[in-house]
Amino acid sequence: MAVDRSLIGRSTGLRRVVVERGPVAVFAEAVKDHDPVYQDADAAREAGFPSVPVPPTFPFVMAHWGALAELQPRGAGGQGETALLEVLAPLLRAGGLLLHGEQEFEYHSPIVVGDVLTGEGRVTDVYEKQAPGAAMTFVLTETTWRHDPGGEVAVVARSSALVRLPRAGS
Amino acid sequence: MRARRAFDDVAVGDEAPVVRHVLTRTDLVAYAGASGDFNPMHHDEVLATAAGQPSVFGHGMFSMGLLGTAVTGWAGAGSLVRYSVRFRRQTWPGETLVTRVVAVGKREEGGRRLVDLDCSLANSDGEQKVVGSATVALD
Repeated sequence: MAVDRSLIGRSTGLRRVVVERGPVAVFAEAVKDHDPVYQDADAAREAGFPSVPVPPTFPFVMAHWGALAELQPRGAGGQGETALLEVLAPLLRAGGLLLHGEQEFEYHSPIVVGDVLTGEGRVTDVYEKQAPGAAMTFVLTETTWRHDPGGEVAVVARSSALVRLPRAGS
Repeated sequence: MRARRAFDDVAVGDEAPVVRHVLTRTDLVAYAGASGDFNPMHHDEVLATAAGQPSVFGHGMFSMGLLGTAVTGWAGAGSLVRYSVRFRRQTWPGETLVTRVVAVGKREEGGRRLVDLDCSLANSDGEQKVVGSATVALD
């Protein structure tokens, strides 16, 4: 299955999210982070935050929690991960195993509870690698989250997803 | 309460306190709910074994999150400037996951006092699960 390199540069969607208190508290506990700043608004203020801050990897799940329907830019709905799925879905249907290869966050300005952010992503690379007994298809994406309004960059997230598909006969 | 560690109190070679965690299936289910990642390989033992896996396995982002907990637990919440990892091996329920965070450089740049860190997560046999690096801005 040859990869379609024309996907490079394609948008992975535009999403507006709100950061809410409950998801931040639950997420911090799920990654075993018991720092009171994620649970207690007074502890957060004492530590110098205007409101409860988010754990380092929370930006990866912001769209899951906070992409409320009424926040979405008109005409952009439903386009979320189309480009990514276009590459990966046929490989998964063929029995491939989806894995996460690499993840990077660049933190530019703090994110706290109550913030509204707009995230826009694009495919930055698509390629295939041969491993012993399997073909590996990699899709790299980059998503920039900006404070809304204002447009100040909050975080840039870069991901590589890969599907490992065993070759027939191996 | 102090939000961040003091730059002057850090020396190259310093290590953050180790976070040690025995991974359970309950952790996988809790992370699935907290993240929305319901890939069945992480919570459905029947489907995972049918797909040839020895059992369900941990989310890569749980490992990155746990390692991040060790980084900010030491450097302070909100101190990260950059955090990057490569996922090397799957994690399995019952494994003890152990963090290692080491200061490898100090520099001042654009008025900020930065410490570069090497960070990794391994099991108790020393098998590397996640390797990466981070930069924190300290007071």
